[in-house]
Formats: sequence, structure tokens, C-alpha cells
Amino acid sequence: MAKTSNYVPQDSPLDRMDPRAKIYAIFCLGIAAIIFPYYQFSYLIVIGLFIAAGIAKLLKKFTKFMLAFAIPILIMLIFIQGFYSPKNVTIIADCGFAKLGLEGVEYALKIVGSLLVFLGSFYLMTTTTYTGRLVAALVDSGMNMKVGYLVLACLNVVPQMQRRMLIIQEAQAARGVDTQGTFFSRLKAYIPLLGPVVMSSFTDAQERGMTLETRGFGVKNVKPTTFVEAKKRTSDRVVQILLVVFLVATIAATVFLKFA
Amino acid sequence: MNDTILEVKDLSFRYRGAKRKAFQHISFDVRKGEFFCIVGANGSGKSTLCNALVGLIPFYFEGRMKGDVFINGKNTKESSIAELSSEIGLVFQNPFNQLSYTAGTVEEELAYGLGNKGIPREEMKKRVAKVAKMMRIDHIINKNPLELSGGQVQRVAFGSTFIMEPEILVLDECTTQLDPLGSEEIFDIVKDLNKNGITVIMVDHDMERVARCANRILVLEDGNQVAIDTPEKIFGNPDMVAHQIDVPDYVSICQELKNRGLFKGEVEVEEEPTIQAVKEALKV
Repeated sequence: MAKTSNYVPQDSPLDRMDPRAKIYAIFCLGIAAIIFPYYQFSYLIVIGLFIAAGIAKLLKKFTKFMLAFAIPILIMLIFIQGFYSPKNVTIIADCGFAKLGLEGVEYALKIVGSLLVFLGSFYLMTTTTYTGRLVAALVDSGMNMKVGYLVLACLNVVPQMQRRMLIIQEAQAARGVDTQGTFFSRLKAYIPLLGPVVMSSFTDAQERGMTLETRGFGVKNVKPTTFVEAKKRTSDRVVQILLVVFLVATIAATVFLKFA
Repeated sequence: MNDTILEVKDLSFRYRGAKRKAFQHISFDVRKGEFFCIVGANGSGKSTLCNALVGLIPFYFEGRMKGDVFINGKNTKESSIAELSSEIGLVFQNPFNQLSYTAGTVEEELAYGLGNKGIPREEMKKRVAKVAKMMRIDHIINKNPLELSGGQVQRVAFGSTFIMEPEILVLDECTTQLDPLGSEEIFDIVKDLNKNGITVIMVDHDMERVARCANRILVLEDGNQVAIDTPEKIFGNPDMVAHQIDVPDYVSICQELKNRGLFKGEVEVEEEPTIQAVKEALKV
């Protein structure tokens, strides 16, 4: 299968799960991580995501992705919030040029934790969900087919444009244009490529429009169907209910902690 | 083969902003099961005429259209392109622009149009299996269309059009971008479809192929209808060269033999009868 999305076909429970349940997971876990006052909670969810990645046979890829995102942003936010947050009262280290405050560090950890929950769950969804199935599920839930088309077409048109770029690049190279070498020589070679790529894209768009029209894209008063099946199993419904219960419990706990 | 399936009546079209008409006063009819070819030099209006036949004109391209196109007695102006797609399908040059870009596999690509029309999944699966076999793409059904060769994609495009079960197929130079082998593969499929009763309207620059397959040929020049007749009459007419129509080699051979008084029959447009004519001439 061409690289049109992050999807890695695996025979795992996460792969089999209905895409709607995974969307529920992104929102319920993400909102829970944001609203709960203690940053440790977000990291507990992140640990849960690592377990899910292990079940989905994607632990290595998931770890790489999470570390590549978490480490730089954590360092940057701890530096900004830890040293310069106006909330800082408790000093935990004196680095000479600035003092590291506990409140700022905790705030940075909270932001990074919440982001990791959102990104981690989204990453797991995209790597375990075939895009066609996702769109079929959303269309089945009432999403307009045209919106579904936009989602899929955006993902699939990119490889086609890359392919065209490569063809034009090879054609230019065959005519003696240097497409390798230093940054400036590459820049010099690539700028003239943009014109043909953009112009041919307009022609392509017109022909693609013709194709869609002749395949019933604009048909009215018909409920569209999809070839890919998006069937919700009982287990998917249970997962959705558990996620909603988890979010409601988190909200209740947050309110309790605020007023207790 | 006397039932008219498509009728074009005094059709003219000018694109919005264009100085001249793309074609004018075109009138012809196509019979059920006929293999009908449209020929002419570049810019003669062939592709625009194809777009008019399938309803893209006047619904998709802006411009001024006069005259009518009837499919099974129904005026295309009174239908939508989507409605017409069950009666007439179009396959054009660039195979990659005939993908919906919504499918991860060939079978999803084939089924795309059916989904738009609300065909139930079980029916879709049946039709996909049938068309995949017919188009000889059943071995690549689970592959991503973007990974396929141009010839394979063109067969997928054919399948995606044919799966809508049109009675008429319009082929606008659909083998131009393919290598000779890919081109022949597509053409074999077209011939099979025509044998099975599908009406084919084909635009092609390969005159030998046109001569071999067409029941009748429409000749266009600068948007005007020059002639409409059988291949023998069209290619046997010496005036056609003046209308920028390349005559197949077989016709040239027969004409040369006739000019030298070595052949007295009708001009032949196919390989075998021409060989026979040459053999007869050599005996003399």
C-alpha cells in the first residue's frame, strides 16, 4: 500500500477497534488530561497509551515518536516556565543566571503531559486506522460524503504530486539541470519546477472533477454507501461508554478537589 | 443494429471567452451495439464533442451550447451528469486523472461511483468482482491504485466507468499515453465489450485501428462535420487527405494497385483483404 497515511496494518485489537471509539478516546483522554489539576494524572494516561501501543505492536515506533516530540518541547517549556514564570514562588535550584521555580516546572510538565496525551492518542489512532475505514465510519455516523472526499483526497493527492515532481525533476536532470549538489544549486533547480507542477495541477484538478462528476459525485437525494465496512461491535460500544464514564469521573473529581 | 441509442441534433458549442466555436452544426446518430469512431486533427473539436455526449457540456464546462443530445430518447440537458453516468461513460487520456483519489485499493476505486449512487455493499462487491475479472485486474484488486503502471491504472479507470453499467462507452484517446502493449490490452477489452453489446464511441489517432474496428466514422475538421460513413467509404475517398486524415497503409496500397490497374475491387481497410489483393496483383 502506498504511503498515503501513517497507517501500519497489524492484526491487533486496536486495529480492529471502530475508528469512532478511537476518536472518543482522543477527546475523552485529552480533555481529562487538561482539566485534572495534577500533572501526574496526564503521565498516568501517557503510560496507558504506551501499554496500548504495545498491544498494537507499535511500541518502538510510538516510543520514538513520543520521545522525539516530548524531550525538546519539555526542555524548552521547563526553561521558559521554570525560570521565568511569574507564578514561581518555591525555588528548587539556583542556576546563577536565573532561579528555577517549582510552580513553573509543574506548569510546564502539565502542558507537556496534556499535549502528549492528545498527540499520543492521535498518533495511535492514525497508525491503527485505515483512512478509508475512518471515513466510512464518519459517513455512517452522518458526515457529509463530500467532507469525507476532502479528507481522503487530501491524503491521496500528495503522493501523486510527489510523483509528478519526480518526473519533472528527472526530465530536467536529463536536460542537464543540476538537481543535486549544494543547497543553492538545488534551489536554482527546484524553483523552475514549481511552475509546471502548479500549472499541471490545475489541469489535473479539472480532469479529476470530470471523473468525479461522471461517477455520480454530485448525485442528489441519495444516501451514499461505502465499500469499506465500518461496523460498530459491542466491544466498541463498551469502550466508548467506559471512556465517557472516565471523562465524567475526572470532571467530578476535579470539581470535588476544587471545592473540598 | 438499427435502434438509435444516441442522437446528436445540430449541436454547436463555444467555450466561455473563446473567439470561435469548438464545434458547430454537428448531427449524427449512433446505433445500439455500434462501434462508432470520431476522427480529426488536433483542435478539431473531438474531445469537446465527447464532453457534450456525456453531459459535461453544458453542466461542467461553461459556454454556449446550441442543439441537443439525446440518449435513449432523453435529452441530456434535462438530466444531470450523475444520472447520465448509468447510461453513458467516459474514459479519457490521462489514466492517473481518472482516479478518485479516495481509495486505498483497486476494489475501493472501482466501487467509488457505486457508493455515490447508494448501491448496497453486497451488490457493490458482486459488481466489483465481475468488472475486475472482465478488465483483467482481479490479480491486483488489493493493490493501491497509485502503485500501478499506466496501463493498469487505465484498466482500473475503464472498470470504474464500466461498473456504472452504461450502455455507451465514450473513449477519448484513452490509449494515447500507454505503451503499445498496454494500448493493445485496453483495446482488446474494448472489443470484448463491444462484442457483448456495449455501444462504443471512440476518438483515436490510430487510423489502422479505426479502420479495423469502426462500423462508421465521423470526420471533424476545425469544428465542422466533414463526413460520416463506413471506413471503406471514408478512407476510400481521396479528398480525406485534404481534411488532414491519415489514410491507413492498407488503403494506400490498394489505391496504388488500383492506379496501376492491378486491382479492380473496393479499397480494403484491413490487413488480410489487402494481402489477398496484393497476392492477386502479383499473379498478374
